[in-house]
Amino acid sequence: MNAPSTSFHTPSARAIYGSRARTDKIVRVLCVLAAAFGLLWLSLILFTLFWNGLAGLHFSVFTEMTPPPGSTTGGLANAIFGSILMTIIGVGIGAPLGLFAGTYLAEYGRHEKLSFYVRFINDILLSAPSIVIGLFIYGAVVVPMGGFSALAGSLALAVIVVPVVVRTTEDMLLLVPNQLREAASALGLPRSYVIRSIAYKAARTGLITGILLATARVAGETAPLLFTALSNQFWNANLLTTMANLPVTINNFVQSPYEYWRQLAWTGALLITLAVLALNIFARLLAAERKKS
Amino acid sequence: MSEHTVASYDKELGQLGRYIAEMGGLAEKMISDAMDALLSMDVELARAVVSTDQRLDTLQRQIEELAILTIARRQPMAVDLREIVAAIRVSGDLERVGDLAKNIGKRTLKLAEEPRIPRAAIGLKHMGESVQLQLKNVLDSYAGRDIEKARAVWENDAELDAMEDSVFRDLLTFMMEDPRNISFCTHLLFCSKNLERAGDHATNIAETVYFLVTGQNLPMDRPKGASSSMMTTAK
Amino acid sequence: MSDVQVMPQTSGHAPAAGRAAPVKLEVRNLDFFYGANKALKNINLRLETNSVTAFIGPSGCGKSTLLRVLNRMYDLYPGQKAEGEVLLDGENILNPGVDLNLLRARVGMVFQKPTPFPMTIYDNIAFGIKLYENLSKSELDGRVEHALRGSALWNEVKDKLNASGLSLSGGQQQRLCIARTVAIQPEVILFDEPCSALDPISTAKVEELIDELKAKYTIAIVTHNMQQAARVSEHTAFMYLGELVEFDETQRIFTAPSMRQTQDYITGRFG
Repeated sequence: MNAPSTSFHTPSARAIYGSRARTDKIVRVLCVLAAAFGLLWLSLILFTLFWNGLAGLHFSVFTEMTPPPGSTTGGLANAIFGSILMTIIGVGIGAPLGLFAGTYLAEYGRHEKLSFYVRFINDILLSAPSIVIGLFIYGAVVVPMGGFSALAGSLALAVIVVPVVVRTTEDMLLLVPNQLREAASALGLPRSYVIRSIAYKAARTGLITGILLATARVAGETAPLLFTALSNQFWNANLLTTMANLPVTINNFVQSPYEYWRQLAWTGALLITLAVLALNIFARLLAAERKKS
Repeated sequence: MSEHTVASYDKELGQLGRYIAEMGGLAEKMISDAMDALLSMDVELARAVVSTDQRLDTLQRQIEELAILTIARRQPMAVDLREIVAAIRVSGDLERVGDLAKNIGKRTLKLAEEPRIPRAAIGLKHMGESVQLQLKNVLDSYAGRDIEKARAVWENDAELDAMEDSVFRDLLTFMMEDPRNISFCTHLLFCSKNLERAGDHATNIAETVYFLVTGQNLPMDRPKGASSSMMTTAK
Repeated sequence: MSDVQVMPQTSGHAPAAGRAAPVKLEVRNLDFFYGANKALKNINLRLETNSVTAFIGPSGCGKSTLLRVLNRMYDLYPGQKAEGEVLLDGENILNPGVDLNLLRARVGMVFQKPTPFPMTIYDNIAFGIKLYENLSKSELDGRVEHALRGSALWNEVKDKLNASGLSLSGGQQQRLCIARTVAIQPEVILFDEPCSALDPISTAKVEELIDELKAKYTIAIVTHNMQQAARVSEHTAFMYLGELVEFDETQRIFTAPSMRQTQDYITGRFG
């Protein structure tokens, strides 16, 4: 066979290559610009948040209660406590549910018809607007119980946590190579053993990452809490009545005419953002750790 | 037999086959020339036979090298493995046949210095023809992968053994008639032994052909004809 | 050639004729289905006790499928079904009442890719043992060491038993998997292309191991490497398109197979 006659040295080949190289350059510049544009707004948001939030960030924010209208002192202690408590309870209820459901989808029910429907509904739930979930809990819990409560708020958060954890659990378990399951089964291990001792172990960091991401997701949710936990001006640890929380407090304060309230709203927003950021970074680190091993 | 997925494998096996064919032709020719030289006391022809042996040795070495290389490269299995092992064995036998023909040639050179009773050599003529026929048949059986023919060669060796027996008796008579014949006849005796052994190599090749085709060996005990084989020969 | 008495060139222990070696596993009229697709067609063969049987054949011929029937690994997946009989010491393991976990403890399996569990080297071995036996710490230590020694791995890992099993090299991982299987003292060990992911030296070590293991266990090995089958096994089965084409002594299969398909496959004349 003769050597191919086309080469980079013929004029036509150089012309074709030249036009390709130009297209490549243009597309690359467009991509960089688009990325920079997105990042610009993101950094503007963060910058504004830090600029406005840091101004009001002092120790009293963590120790004093939310102030009454017109006051120029006070903090967010009750709201921070409420947010943390409801998030923990919400994740505490939602994560195990999600883990079990995800385990069913990935392990026991992998080839079942039921899994298909569960997965489908879960995906809908995953993308459902959180205000819908708030309304649902309002109808299902708040109204029958006769009033807003932290419990209802936690439940609303749990409903948001479940689909996220289901999805990540299933995905992470599916990433565990089947050979590992077969190898464990080949030793005569019962199925539950294989899942607990092998699959969970192999997927551990992935599962934790999923839960952390779900936590980050609900930590900043406002809508579901508006209709469920509402807010409370005072320190409250009673789950059966209204409870202050950061998102709703921010929502209330930011629309007020009082300068100090608006300042607290900025500070609260910064706190939530920092918490979510920390959770995300931690989750990423875990994921990176997993890749290394 | 269909072809290998790897074409160069077929080429190597083909090359082995061609080498064997060339060796076979040479060995046949050497026996026939050696006999002609012996019977007509042709010194030139005898020298030619002696010098041809080198080519046979070279070919045998080439076959061995190629066979070893092929084994190392292809890890042959089943029929391919037998093919290669057969090539090694057959080339060894043919090389020995060449040595035996060369030995007859050398003895012819000695005999020609002092030719005594040429009629004594006549008895060897039939042996020589028989060996040539055996060689031709066995090489045909190898080329055609014909186990029937190979088995015929294997069984016919008894005839050659019987001939050697009778040559032995004839030569013994000549020696007893006149002790001056002893040296001459002893050389002829060795020549007949050489022919008998060349025949043995033909049967070895027949056994190899049988193994090559069937993957099995012929039985150990072959039909025997001669009773004088207790005599051993020196090279 | 009827009048010529033919000497078989084999050394003696023919599977069918002559003195019968004890049979550990017997497959009778086995058909196997992936859904509607028949992957194994009427397989009949016997695995002799304390011997190595190799399964060779082109990809998709059903050799791995057959192996996965022998410990019912296929049961992990829906839509797969075996018909016929597989007798382990005379008991049909295809019966619905058979306890799969106990069966798999008796019929161990080593896979193509080394699959150490995500735990320490020690736990990789101890894990399976603890499932079936209640041992003291020192007894367990002894069993782990014994299993690792039996897999020619002890000297390489004795100082790092608490390191992750995943930290070992590929060859070591595979020997760890063999040790893990041996530790629960099975009767039969199935090897599914155990060396296809290993370098030649590791392969040689695993082969040496298989040779040692056959003194205690009955072994079946699926391999794509014909030389490996020729080296490690006493009997070889050649499979093609879900059928058992030829089953004979390994020596015979690799020097003078009786079926044309076998010959074409092992000499590289396939397709």
